[in-house]
Amino acid sequence: MTGFAELLLSGVMSGLIIGLAGLAVTLVFGIARFSNAATGDTMTLGAYGALLGTTLTGSLIFGGLVGLLAGALAAVLSYVLVFRQLANRSPISSLLASIGLAFFVRAGLGLAFGHNQSVFQLDIVRPIRFLDLRIQPNDLKFAAIALVTLVIVFIILHMTPIGRRMRAVADNPLLARVSGIAPRPVMFTLWAMAGAVSAIAGIILGMKTVVSPEMGWDMLLPAFAAAVLGGIGHPVGAIVGGLVIGVAQELATPFVGFTYKIAVSFIVLLLVLLVRPRGMFGRVEGVR
Amino acid sequence: MDAYLIAIAIVSGIYLLLALGLNLQFGLTGLINFGHVGFFCVGAYTSAILSTNGVPVAWSLLAAALVGMLAAWPLGVISIRLREDYFAIASLGFSEIVRLVATSEGWLTNGVQGIAGIPRIFSGVTGQSQAIAMLAIVTVFCVLAILAMRRIVRSPFGRMIEAIRDNEEAVKSLGKDPAGFKMQVLLLGSMLAGLSGALYAHYIGYISPDQFIPFITFQIWMAIIMGGVGRISGTVAGVIILMVFLEGSRFLRDIAPFIPEVAMASIRLGAIGLALMLFTIYRPQGLMGDYTKR
Repeated sequence: MTGFAELLLSGVMSGLIIGLAGLAVTLVFGIARFSNAATGDTMTLGAYGALLGTTLTGSLIFGGLVGLLAGALAAVLSYVLVFRQLANRSPISSLLASIGLAFFVRAGLGLAFGHNQSVFQLDIVRPIRFLDLRIQPNDLKFAAIALVTLVIVFIILHMTPIGRRMRAVADNPLLARVSGIAPRPVMFTLWAMAGAVSAIAGIILGMKTVVSPEMGWDMLLPAFAAAVLGGIGHPVGAIVGGLVIGVAQELATPFVGFTYKIAVSFIVLLLVLLVRPRGMFGRVEGVR
Repeated sequence: MDAYLIAIAIVSGIYLLLALGLNLQFGLTGLINFGHVGFFCVGAYTSAILSTNGVPVAWSLLAAALVGMLAAWPLGVISIRLREDYFAIASLGFSEIVRLVATSEGWLTNGVQGIAGIPRIFSGVTGQSQAIAMLAIVTVFCVLAILAMRRIVRSPFGRMIEAIRDNEEAVKSLGKDPAGFKMQVLLLGSMLAGLSGALYAHYIGYISPDQFIPFITFQIWMAIIMGGVGRISGTVAGVIILMVFLEGSRFLRDIAPFIPEVAMASIRLGAIGLALMLFTIYRPQGLMGDYTKR
């Protein structure tokens, strides 16, 4: 029983990371309307930024902020240099360019930091015992950070003027345009948010496991699966989708083995696309 | 030097078969296949497993093409009707799953150690003449594939798939079934990829899962985009550019030996990424593409 509960717990933890990555995917998809394959490598960038910040300042919190800024800045830059040029073309152009960007970022990180795995120096803390269950205090902190991120995204989207405009663009870009909503501030905010959220996902993943140039690319499939499962363009859905996938991955591990973890998210993705393409929370749309 | 040129020509031919398949899928039909390397992998493993177990190479090549095609069938059934970017992600996922299976199912694929000692195609001859024989085989397949492509482009089937690419809704409204045509195109392209994988396996003689990463898929993508989407001449030109780039980066190390091989791999990855971005932004029709369209 405890074994099951511990699997569940570690599923929730990886689910939160997948969910944050899915949140970044879903934000971009909802507003800029393409699947951003560079999400994973923005995560990696955030993790390396945090690692660099931590070694320079010696403070994990400051390092995390550096990583966050790096992710947000890189995402805004990618919008200005790449995706803005492709805004009026088919989403496939943007998707293809985002793959190019993903390779470019990964290559840059590989050149700058080498291909060895690095780790964050976290203090080793005795796990909290709760009803026979071992809980790492760091996991609690990570979960709190993930939840705070979600709340901030929610506040920005639903309680600020720029958030209202973002939702208007997501709803109907042309109608938003004729209503006098300037696209530029909306897109800048969107990319900064998406970049920051990916960076946070990358930093938590890096702190829980190791940091390597390939870490983000491997998260791409689970992130897409979470976004589709939650209903594309639906922020809370992405987190819930991520949790479902994270838990499913962990619970499947005893049966299918460690290596097939990623296959679980692929199967979830296909099932959702087959059975309910709009996901758990998505609206009915004229899409397949 | 001759041996080197022959080796490059053989690898170019193998890439060309892959690129022709992708050009049929994306260039002519508009099918966004991000999992091309998966079928290449299936073909390579099929032929390697069969021929190391004593099946004659001619049969294992045929089997590889067939199994490559069959592997595409479930993917097509499940996802061919999806919106184009969903299909792209599903196919990317498919190729990653193929690689996972190749890594984990050690009883079949020998896992991460890979399969070594795959028989050559003409085991009777050795050395230079062996390479030339291999080149001849690859060339024959390439010429056949190019002729088949030209035939397809000029046939009613070719007009249909180009119509699907240009306006799927219009094709539907005329009472045609785009999904059926897309399925045929997916199977044909995957058959070429499977065949190409088998030739690769028999040429290199050793395969392991880490040779079949998505990077290969996007190298092919870059080749057809650079050359000119939907044009056979463009595909050939694109593959040549790709090979010049890949081999050129090897010569760069001769000039600048202080660059370690790992860094070189990163530079290759970054350069392909950069080219993908620049071409989609500034020259989506490629070098040989239709200059009047954007």
